Amino acid sequence: MKESNPVLRAVQVLFRDYLVLLMIAVLVAVTAIIEPKFMSPLNLVNIMRQFGPLMMVSLGMTFVIIGGFIDLSVAGIINLVAVVTISLIQPIGQVPALLTGLGIGAACGLLNSAVILSSGALTQAEALFLTFGMSTVFSATALLYSHGSTMHFWDIKTSKSIFETIGAGTLGPVSVSFVIFLAVLFLLWVFQTKTTEGRAISLTGGNKTAARLSGIGISRAIVVIYTICGLMTGLGAIVLFSRITTAAPVIGAGYETNAILSVVVGGTTLKGGKGSVLRTVMGVLLVVLMSNCLNLLGVSTYLQVAVKGAILVLAIWLDNRKQV
Amino acid sequence: MNGKGIGASLYSIVTRQKAFIFILVMLVGMIFSRSNFYSAYNLLDMLNSTSILLILSFGVTLTIIAGGCDLSIGGILVVSGILSIKLQDFMPMGWAILCAIVFGIAVGFVNGFLVVHQKTEPFIITLGMGLLLTGVAQELTNAHPVPAKNPAFMMIGNGDFHGVPNLVMIMAVCFALSYWLMRYTQFGRNLYAIGGDYDVARYSGIDVIRTKWLAFVISGGAAALAGVLLSSKLNTGSSIYGELTALVVNCGVVVGGTSFAGGIGGIPQSALGLLVFGMLDNAMNMLNITSYYQVMLKGAVIVGIIWMDCFANKRRREFV
Repeated sequence: MKESNPVLRAVQVLFRDYLVLLMIAVLVAVTAIIEPKFMSPLNLVNIMRQFGPLMMVSLGMTFVIIGGFIDLSVAGIINLVAVVTISLIQPIGQVPALLTGLGIGAACGLLNSAVILSSGALTQAEALFLTFGMSTVFSATALLYSHGSTMHFWDIKTSKSIFETIGAGTLGPVSVSFVIFLAVLFLLWVFQTKTTEGRAISLTGGNKTAARLSGIGISRAIVVIYTICGLMTGLGAIVLFSRITTAAPVIGAGYETNAILSVVVGGTTLKGGKGSVLRTVMGVLLVVLMSNCLNLLGVSTYLQVAVKGAILVLAIWLDNRKQV
Repeated sequence: MNGKGIGASLYSIVTRQKAFIFILVMLVGMIFSRSNFYSAYNLLDMLNSTSILLILSFGVTLTIIAGGCDLSIGGILVVSGILSIKLQDFMPMGWAILCAIVFGIAVGFVNGFLVVHQKTEPFIITLGMGLLLTGVAQELTNAHPVPAKNPAFMMIGNGDFHGVPNLVMIMAVCFALSYWLMRYTQFGRNLYAIGGDYDVARYSGIDVIRTKWLAFVISGGAAALAGVLLSSKLNTGSSIYGELTALVVNCGVVVGGTSFAGGIGGIPQSALGLLVFGMLDNAMNMLNITSYYQVMLKGAVIVGIIWMDCFANKRRREFV
């Protein structure tokens, strides 16, 4: 590479690695100018609440993608955790219900990893189809469990204060779900950057053979990434149904593509090995802000789906060019 | 091969021809079920309703044999189906159908550009393309089904010729065409070579990029044709059919024995693989299994068979 002046280099790096931040800034600026309602406190609080579920799921998905795999089963896990948890609040109380929900999420993730490990699947493609099948199984279980009906908060006679707090409570100026998000983000960030296991995941995603030969337990890494993803998806499901106060067995539809979109847009590469939870936070912010902006600008929900697909294609393409 | 016992050869038969064995088991099982499964009407109906999936699978098989994958077919299916109905307001039916198929070919061309020319991983990018097209389909129809007004259009998918449904005949033509393409032409053999080892194929002088690109174009075209036929069969265009189609068809192809590793498989195998799903659907309906259990069984079958495919790949890796 030729020696160029430092300002140019910095701009290059900015465009290559932080394109998302740039896009967020442009998006916010443009919308704020066109539609002043965007900067109103009500809308900002709204955004803060909206990104909770997607954020949790995407943070979990980040580890799977850094590990070089993919998880399409998050939609099924959300369906299952939501209907089971909400139905258990009355019979066994809220704290056990909450813990059961998280436990089911983690168990589903563990089951995914067991299927992948036992079959010896090593590529993203194989994991994609296996987890798609698992998603169908989880969703069907949710449908069978709930008999396809929607459950509401107002049907629950006993106390459900914890879930109401998660869904609508505030702590000072920020919402409770935002505080949960900050705490989880800190934990996951520490796990990813400061622990051996976290680095083992990155190495596994970078090059599986090299990782195995240097004595890293790939199998353990696979179990860890899928369990984290399942656990975070369970948490996401709880935050989701607490916010909308109902749980239907189809509540999670579309979350898998949105989570992959957020992770990839954030700059974590689908090839595995490189990425971080902080990047995913940016990605989720972009996706949620984009939905919000498009809503305010009056773009139909259907066209928004198309826009999301286009951005996913574009993001993968750009990511690929960066590597070449 | 000689040194292996009977167990190993049995193992290889089961892993290679799992779709065939699955169908056999189902056929035998249905004898004892006391239902109308074995009536000529039901068997023909089963073939008829699987035809559209089969046409989709023939296109996808080419991309999977070449070491790729096409998950955008669900999107192409719905958009081209809707286009073929909507465009009839502006032009004669034949032109509308042609435009819809050209649309599919164009999407296949873009897929090929992204996957083959730009060398991206095909799985997630075609999934994104499918999402994009689903959004387009919803926007085109406002997420409502659009009815077709032309009775002649409906007859394409619902008519029959001396008792053989049109769909089955079109499917048979597609089958023959793609079988010939893969078995007896240079293009087909080159696709196997590319899937087997991309670099070796390139060094032996095959125009790898153009050949693999063409596979994606054909897949897009086949998906568009299937979309037109689906719209004609149901006499409506709707954006909801494509959601799981892409993943189910790709799984079906693998179920037949075409591996994601590339270079292995063929059109007849894919036909068997998709028939597994068609027969499973039909048998479950005949046995009055509730729809939730049907979904679950289908998921379990997908997991089970992909699991076997992965396991066979692992064994192959270990032998080498």
